[in-house]
Amino acid sequence: MAAPLFELKQVSHQFGQVQALTAISLCIWPGDRVALVGSSGAGKSTLIRLLNGTLRPNQGEVWALGRNLNQLRPARLRQVQSQIGTVYQQLHLVDNLRVVHNVNAGHLSRWSLPKALLSLLLPLELETATQALAQVGIPEKLYAVTRDLSGGQQQRVALARVLVQDPLAILADEPIASLDPSLSREVMDLLRQLCQQAGRTLVVSLHDVGFAQSHCDRIIGLRQGAVVFDCPSPQVSDGMLADLYSAPHE
Amino acid sequence: MSSLPRRLLLTPTLAWGLAGLGAILLSLLAAGLFQQDLVNLDGLPLLLRFLSASLHPDLSREMLQLTWDATLITLAYAVCGTALSLLFGLVGGLLGSEVWWLAVSGAGGNQVQPPPLWLGMRALLAFPRAIHELIWGLFFVGLWGLDPLTAVLAIAIPFGAIVAKVFSEILDDTPRQPLQVLLNSGVSPLSACCYSLLPQAFLNLLSYAFYRFECSVRSATVLGLIGAGGLGYQLLLSFQSLRYDQLWTFFYALFVLNGLVDWSSARLRQHLGCASRMALNFKPAAAPLLAQQRSGWLLGLGSALLIAYCFWYIHPDFSRLWSATTGQRLVEIYRASQPPDWQLLPELVSAALATVAMSVLAIAFAASGGLLLAFPAAHNFFLPGGLLNPGRGSGRGSASRWPWLSLLLARALLLITRAIPAPIWALAVVFVLFPGILPGAIALGLHNLGILGRLMAEVIENLDQRPLEALKAQGAPAGLVLLYGVLPLSLPQFLAYALYRWEVCLRETVIVGFVGAAGLGRLLSEQLSSFDYPGLVLTLGCFLLLTFAVDWVSSRARRSIR
Repeated sequence: MAAPLFELKQVSHQFGQVQALTAISLCIWPGDRVALVGSSGAGKSTLIRLLNGTLRPNQGEVWALGRNLNQLRPARLRQVQSQIGTVYQQLHLVDNLRVVHNVNAGHLSRWSLPKALLSLLLPLELETATQALAQVGIPEKLYAVTRDLSGGQQQRVALARVLVQDPLAILADEPIASLDPSLSREVMDLLRQLCQQAGRTLVVSLHDVGFAQSHCDRIIGLRQGAVVFDCPSPQVSDGMLADLYSAPHE
Repeated sequence: MSSLPRRLLLTPTLAWGLAGLGAILLSLLAAGLFQQDLVNLDGLPLLLRFLSASLHPDLSREMLQLTWDATLITLAYAVCGTALSLLFGLVGGLLGSEVWWLAVSGAGGNQVQPPPLWLGMRALLAFPRAIHELIWGLFFVGLWGLDPLTAVLAIAIPFGAIVAKVFSEILDDTPRQPLQVLLNSGVSPLSACCYSLLPQAFLNLLSYAFYRFECSVRSATVLGLIGAGGLGYQLLLSFQSLRYDQLWTFFYALFVLNGLVDWSSARLRQHLGCASRMALNFKPAAAPLLAQQRSGWLLGLGSALLIAYCFWYIHPDFSRLWSATTGQRLVEIYRASQPPDWQLLPELVSAALATVAMSVLAIAFAASGGLLLAFPAAHNFFLPGGLLNPGRGSGRGSASRWPWLSLLLARALLLITRAIPAPIWALAVVFVLFPGILPGAIALGLHNLGILGRLMAEVIENLDQRPLEALKAQGAPAGLVLLYGVLPLSLPQFLAYALYRWEVCLRETVIVGFVGAAGLGRLLSEQLSSFDYPGLVLTLGCFLLLTFAVDWVSSRARRSIR
């Protein structure tokens, strides 16, 4: 049996007085497509930031690709991070750069400084960038300035960047929260397709339980920083969901 | 497969950058960098004496008393000048804004043609702005002698016009729908503005007012140089009598005054939730409303008391404004200046070129120095948890002390360079450089370096963190996060600030001209001291034209760099 790609051991995290996650333990295996569901403030974003190593937990251990992220030196941490691509709800693109540079930013964990500098003047590895953009359906936007694109197009640029990065796992933090239903479907289809093609692992936090059931094979329900259920998509019942989104009883 | 169109991306930013480099090279040539002797080594011992005096300032009782009084006078000039300029600015800003005239004309934002009155108002505001405080000061000294009124109005008039311009831009950038709703329901334009535009834009206006106050403190110091009293006056006296120990006492007072004013302005703005001071990147306040209102009242009360105290302390004689002698003097000056001395023209052209060269070199020096110091001076950069600090989140004890050290050092350097007025820098630079374009440019550059560095550090602190987090999350090393995240995000704002300060630099060439640097400023000071009014009028006119030209180029460049 393969080793887990991500593993959380008794992880807790708090921001000041606010307890975001409490004693979470779970494993995510290579090739899994996992949806994180739960109401706002349940800890979905915190969990994703723990998984990609931008946040260090107050207690417990986060393991990714067989390494304990808490104990890695910065250079080794970046090595692990280069295998984890993240897509955000608010896109997190540098909006006054051209699309090609935002896409090429996916190379940055491998590129040397002179190469990165040169590419800002004379874009390098155009074929990879164009292919990635073609895969997400906007090859003609290569030289557009990013802020001139629509929200849906910018989300595609963010996906193209992850493609260029070519990671083992893709983390997506509410990638469709600001998109309309048909665009949401397209982006979710793309995410599923990108993962299926190359056997990548997907962890996606979602508000829409429908997409979680249709596009993922495992669903983790979070409420107030704790795991309420963790099971294959078909086994998630309406009762479990109603319980997940119900107001706390006390 | 390699037939893809590879484009060299000649962006507007890059094009303007190349043009800027060309201008800098030409200016270096004009400054005689490769042709003549520039360095005067004989002045080195004097410079060393000047610097070593910093270790033993004169701290005698009388001296401290004198410093305290001088500091209070400078602060009072700044407070009174700012108060009046904000008053002018608020009225002028409303009258100079497009939205006001559209509201009055009842067109309601749908009108394409700007009303002629609005354009007239804008043109009217452009003149006082183009003339430096020091020239206003000298003009008023001719009218009223060394009354405190001279200093207060010398600040209030040009600053009032600047504030009016900025306020009108802020008002025009504020969303207009709420105003429209009120106007459509029959509310009069002024009340409608008071219930929509003004509260909406309030934090931006306030933030800019704080910035103006910081500038006023520096201007009040410079105005001391013409004899108006305060720290600038004392500085010049000590400099001319070679009492460097006293000079440094005043320097330290200046550092403390500037540091306190800048620090409290930053704290207040942060507390009130107006993070960025120049109305860029405005985000709505996050502070709880109740606390904000209470501290807002406290702030209002505090400033009212301070303004009243300052007016009482220097008691400017406002009756001079409408006295008969003022009118007579004005008529005399006008008669003496007619007809203009047209033979001056060739000299004017070369002096104008020298002035432009000086301003270009000054801003190039200030921008590059400011950029270098801005990164260590920003608190979100090298400190634990900062962008380029590899450690994440909660720091692991006292891992290293040098980021804090470099932060303090960079901030101290920025404070020192901006607290000392440019003419005083010029006097110090002339110890070791022969008078000319270069010492003037270095003096101006040093002073503006401190201002630009601080503005840039604030830009860095207010950067949108999310794209940078994304780059870090995928494992990009710090240098590349800088290259693909921090620089593209901040460079347009850096350049906008640098261009804006370039306009200010051009006006400030006048003040270093007064201590013997080259250009129109030197010409002006010669003409003033020999009462050559016919020549003076022409030089001033030439300076106005130059100012408008530089403002135009700068605004063109700023608009295309985004």
